[in-house]
Amino acid sequence: MDIVDLGTLPKSEAVYSDFLLQVREKLEMDHAAYAGLNPAAGAIHGYVTYSDEWKLHYQEQGFHMIDPTLHMSQRSIAPVDWSRLERSSDFRRVFRDAHDFGIGDQGLTIPVRGPYGDVGLLSVTRECSTDEWHKLVRHTLGDLQSLAVHIHDTVMSSDMLGRVLYHPSLSTREAEILQWVAAGKSQQDIGDILSISHRTVEVHLRSSREKLCALTTAQAVGRAVGLGLIYPG
Amino acid sequence: MIIVIDALNKHLFDGVLDEMFRLRARVFGDRLGWDVTIEDGKEIDKFDHLDPVYVVGLDDEGSVVAAVRALQTTGPHMLADVFSDILCGEPPLRSSTMWESTRFCVDTQRLKRGKDRNSVSYATCELMIGSLEYARRAGISDIVTVIDPVMDRVLKRSDNAPYDYVGETVPMGKVPALAALLDTGEERVERVRRFAGIPHDVFLSDDDALALFSRARARAKPLAANADDVPATPLERYLAEQIQSATTVEELKAVHSLIDALAGSLAPSRRQNLLDTHKMVAREA
Repeated sequence: MDIVDLGTLPKSEAVYSDFLLQVREKLEMDHAAYAGLNPAAGAIHGYVTYSDEWKLHYQEQGFHMIDPTLHMSQRSIAPVDWSRLERSSDFRRVFRDAHDFGIGDQGLTIPVRGPYGDVGLLSVTRECSTDEWHKLVRHTLGDLQSLAVHIHDTVMSSDMLGRVLYHPSLSTREAEILQWVAAGKSQQDIGDILSISHRTVEVHLRSSREKLCALTTAQAVGRAVGLGLIYPG
Repeated sequence: MIIVIDALNKHLFDGVLDEMFRLRARVFGDRLGWDVTIEDGKEIDKFDHLDPVYVVGLDDEGSVVAAVRALQTTGPHMLADVFSDILCGEPPLRSSTMWESTRFCVDTQRLKRGKDRNSVSYATCELMIGSLEYARRAGISDIVTVIDPVMDRVLKRSDNAPYDYVGETVPMGKVPALAALLDTGEERVERVRRFAGIPHDVFLSDDDALALFSRARARAKPLAANADDVPATPLERYLAEQIQSATTVEELKAVHSLIDALAGSLAPSRRQNLLDTHKMVAREA
């Protein structure tokens, strides 16, 4: 995925908005939005691709207090298609206004639970036929899951407390596999060397990448070397 | 058949969840002797308060016969905490596309032997198919599952062998526990389907699950509004009819709101009877 890697850039609000614009572009969505709730810091972070008018209206109306796409989705562990949400008075209130701003109610929210009670919600919307929507969701769900964790982890570790709490801790197996990658071995080779299945190598690499806030294995190796978790190849 | 219960629909399935917690108490407390907390015959731990997903198997009579619980590995989960012995103090895998499954259990007392419907093997395979397919549809590609060696053998025997293990096998009550890795690929699910002879869709809709479960409860309870000797009032008969003719969760909820609104015109016991009675005959066919 050639979406900008947040780990390499100085953290500023503009970077997150750019990231969401790229998510929107690559995955062919109308909009993408991220909301992060961090009880440890008592902070709520929000970044969206919606128009400034809708952002302002949303805040003025206090919709973040009642928006079911946030409040119901954060209690799910699976992505929540908005068609599953009850058409409650809160739902109707938010989406009646959203409609006036050209935003429909066909969307999906990916909930991410962090280790410290923090929750991230990556939402995407697209106005199209139901069939098209289901196909799009099926094709992009795996990517959306990874991107949701990527933006959430980056936002959560953007302050001092978060950086300490989110310091990556690799298991011996994860460090060992990453060390072999740094030495230029393929996943196939590593599986043979360690006598484990290739899929085991793959899930450990995936876990290492996410712990190191990297979207690619090469970035993960670079960062692990930088943090002194493995030796340079 | 399989139902998926999470924070969004659990208000409809309190009864199903209670039965599941009782099954868990029998399996993990009594049979496996794990150090679990049991209150009122129900085994509930702190992870049950974190809005996990439950994949639950019902038999043809609507009783809970199998269940498993899933949590994200990015947040609090058992391997990071109470099962950390299995990982020998190593940090657990953490991935957006990996869930942890725990508390996999099957009612071996209620179910028969053999491979037919309503057998232990059938219910086990159905639950495995349901949980793997549900995870795959949520964009999850791998599952790390905490099981005992018996369950490990069951997985292998059902052509659903783990592709690997993490950590070590450690003592846990009367039996050891270990952590296995399973992918959610279609090939794996196909193998289990072939082994168990389950070609059909295993999932029940919320509506159908509610109807099936209510029917099981209704057998144990007399029909509402005819429960005691006092003849039913026209209002009670009307409400009972409405409940029985409801065909969707929405319709049922609407009748319940009506009963609540009319609370003043109904004796409390009659009101409760009506609320406890779901459509008992509507789906007998």
